This record gives sequence, structure tokens and C-alpha cells, in this order.
Amino acid sequence: MAYNKPLPKPSPLTQPFWDGAKAGKFLLPRCEDCNRVHWYPRHICPFCHSMSIQWIEASGEGRIHTYAVQFRAFGGWAEDTPFVTAYIDLAEGDRMATVLRGVDASRPESISIGAKVKVEFEAASDDIHIPFFRVVEESAS
Amino acid sequence: MNLSKAAAIVGAAEAVEIGYPEEPRTSLQLHIEAIKAVSEQTGIPISAIDGIFSAGWSSELAEHLGIHPRYIDTTSVGGCSFEMHVHHALLAIFAGVIDVALVSHGQNGWSARRLGGASRGGDASAPGTQMSMPYGFSGAPSNYSHAMVRHNHRFGTTPEDFAHVAVVTRQWATLNPRAVMHSKETHEFGGPITVDDVNNSRMISWPLTLLHCCLVTDHGGAVLIARPEIARSLRTTPVWIAGAAENMSHANMLEMEDFTATSAFASGRAAYKMAGLGPDDMELALLYDSFTLTAAMTAEMLGLAPRGEGYKLWKDGHAAPGGRLPINTNGGGLSFNHSGMYGMHLLVEAYRQLSGTAEDGVNGIEGKQTNAMTCIVNGTGGSLSTTGTLVLVAD
Repeated sequence: MAYNKPLPKPSPLTQPFWDGAKAGKFLLPRCEDCNRVHWYPRHICPFCHSMSIQWIEASGEGRIHTYAVQFRAFGGWAEDTPFVTAYIDLAEGDRMATVLRGVDASRPESISIGAKVKVEFEAASDDIHIPFFRVVEESAS
Repeated sequence: MNLSKAAAIVGAAEAVEIGYPEEPRTSLQLHIEAIKAVSEQTGIPISAIDGIFSAGWSSELAEHLGIHPRYIDTTSVGGCSFEMHVHHALLAIFAGVIDVALVSHGQNGWSARRLGGASRGGDASAPGTQMSMPYGFSGAPSNYSHAMVRHNHRFGTTPEDFAHVAVVTRQWATLNPRAVMHSKETHEFGGPITVDDVNNSRMISWPLTLLHCCLVTDHGGAVLIARPEIARSLRTTPVWIAGAAENMSHANMLEMEDFTATSAFASGRAAYKMAGLGPDDMELALLYDSFTLTAAMTAEMLGLAPRGEGYKLWKDGHAAPGGRLPINTNGGGLSFNHSGMYGMHLLVEAYRQLSGTAEDGVNGIEGKQTNAMTCIVNGTGGSLSTTGTLVLVAD
């Protein structure tokens, strides 16, 4: 079935990320001066205000920072309720929003803050492959 | 002259019909009705307003009113914008730029559904939006639930703990005849509720059930702020702006570093400092309650309760009618009225309680629910993003 959920509109700033995603690579912006990774993509490093940002290929690994179960949603997401959204602490630093995979939305207590997750991409259109995260190790360690 | 108390709120009024009006209202109409009402209340003619403050409406309102203000502020950073407007008006009056400031709000959160409302969602090409819009978040509840889960994880709290905020706030609503949830006569689900009612209401975004979430209604409100000489010459009772401050931690929830803290810690500290007062001096608290969590976390940020224990103010009855620190005496965004941006509701209630122009209280006090002479007001906007804090003092 065709992907029926909202799609982002890439901009020059974010195009490298979406190009990477299409190639199955998880790219993150890193400041060449302070070496810190930030998310979402910026024109300027939010930590040291350097304008020298490069894209690095990241591990795609992280841990659940917090999560919730959505029982009410709009558009294509409405038919997927309940589903689990989460904020992921990325291994390289900073945090990303996602919909979690490999979890049971009917048993939210079974999901652990701190659990390890790994990125995977879904081809939503020819140009947009969206990163989602799958729980790979259930308990926080 | 000090900045503290360099101006007073001299009147506060609401639109003719708020809540769920039978005939759909436009936001402009809600603005104008409230402005007319506050002008009549104070005796300040609309033509004397020389500073205009609103969340995005200032040029349209000034033109509609036929006035040519010297100071135009249209700060729109969520529901706390109105507390920020008061802060900005205080500064403009202190600086001698203006004499009388209008802060106005009109929002047909309810009627918009029938009139055809604005579209949802932001610019799909903005970098922050690109990175959150693919994931099915749908409005404030879908994000605030993540903060509840993190609070539970960090402090060992439970959704049931926060349910007490809804229960106690509803108690206040039953004392306010203007509250949407005042009684079965005002709404089929109005009147007192229990913790079980909150737990068993429809799940919106786990762990937030419906009764953890605010209403969606129509509201219009306006306040006038004036310099002391003018404030003392009016027929209304002034409420003094002793402290005012604002802050922000992020816009997109992606950037919220600590999901259990807001910038109310910083804006609160600055407002207390300007006022020369502290948390223990506050006798009434009006805390933005978009969700039960918002009010409880804000109480922690403002030093009204220890970290992780904000909910206890409600659970232990301190925030309830007759308690030592009444909170949200109008019934809050949870049970009085919430049009989408709730900051004006806080200002109107603060003025009513501190000027003694509210309904007679449960304790037989005329025109107010409490004996409070001091009040802390905190607006929270966006996704727990922005805050405006005021310390107000009765005349």
C-alpha cells in the first residue's frame, strides 16, 4: 500500500540528510569546531555558534529517552492508532523524535526508558526514506 | 522610581459569551467585546490607549478600533504571550513611552470548528518541522505525554498523582458560575469529578486521559495597564505589577533538554527578584494548566513545591478551596475555559481575585475566593517551551 502519512519537504539545509537516508545511511550534522553533534540540522552550531558544520555517518543507535502512546492522530496516522512515539538519545549525541517499532502499544509499561534502539528506514516515496527506530534490547542496561 | 510597581493592571474583562457559545463567534469579535467591556469598567476611553499588545493581532485590532498607538507589540509565542505582554507594557510605561496599555486576547477555539478553522501544522520545510512531522504527533497532548512519562520515570510519580490536579481544579470550577464545567447545568459532564473519573476517561495520548487535558472553548479577554498616577485616579482598584519576567528553553520539543523542567524556573526567579518577594510570600497561584502535568511541574519550577512533588499541593488539599495555597481559583484551563492560548484567562482571574471583583467566596469573603494579597501568575507556551511569570500585589 502506498505510504499515506505526512512527508517532510527537504530544504537545501536538510537535503544531505534525506539523500543519505535514501542510500540507507544515517547522517548527522557535526560541528567542525566543537565536535558536537546536533539535531535537528542547523545553519549554525547551537553549542558554539560556528558556521562550519559537516555531515557524518552515524551508528543509528540510541536509547529511549521518553515515550508515549498515541490514541488520537490525524491523516494516515489515524488508522495506525495506538502507536508509540518516542524521543531517542542518539549514541553520537542530541535527541531525535520517532515512532518506535518492535514494541507493544497495548502494553506501554513493557517499554523501558533507556532501552537500546537502532534506526531503520522506510521508503515513503521515491525521494523520502523516513528513519524509524526499532527496539533491539528491551531492558535498560 | 523602581520598575517594580511602575504600573498596575487597572481592569480586566471578558467577551460577552465565552465557553461554547450557541452562535459561532469569530476571534475578532471576542477581542472587541472584551476591549469594550474593559474600557467601560475602568472609564478609560479606547482613544486613550497608546500601547497595544496582543498575540499576533495588534495592527488589525488598532485599525479596527481606529487608534494610532505609539507602541505596538504582537509577541506570539504560545499561551504565555499575555504574561509577556504585561512584562513589556510595564517596561514601556516605566520608560515613559506610553501611559495606558491594552493587552487583548480573542480566540474561537470552539467556534472555529464550525466556521472552518485554520489548518494544522507548520511549514513542512522548516528544519525542526521536517524532523518531527513525519511521526504522527498531533497537537499538544501527543507531546506533553512524553514529559509525563519522563517525570514518572525520574521521580516515581504516577498519572494518578497528577489526576488530583484535575479533581481539585474541578472543585474550584463548581464555585465559578462562568466555568464551562461548573455543573450539570452548564455541561453534561460538569460538576465534581473523582480520581477514578480521570483515570477512566478516554485515553488521548498515554498516559494522558481526556480529563488530564484542558478544554477547547471560545474566549476573549482584555486588561488595561496604566502608570500609577492614572491607576489611582480611576474608579477601579489597581493590582500592582511587582515582578515580571519571561524566558524560554526551546521551541520544538526536540530541543527540550530536561523533560521535567521548564523555563519557569528562570522567569520565576527573575520575577521574584524584581518584586523582592519569594515563593513563601505567595498567597494565591494561577498556573497555566494546559494539562495536569503543566500546573504541577510549574509549581515545582516556581519553588512552591520541591522537585518531583508539585502534585502533592493538590493531592494533599493545599491547592483546594480552603487550602493554604489556593491554585487556579477560576477552575483553570482544565475546567473553566481554554481557548488554545490560556494566558489571558490567568490575567483576568488574577485581577478579579486581587481587586475583589470576583464572585463572593466560599468563606463568605466578598468578591474573592481567598484573602490573598499576593499572587504568582505563570503562563506556559508551546511545548513546555516558553514562560512568562508575574508577581502581582493587591492595592
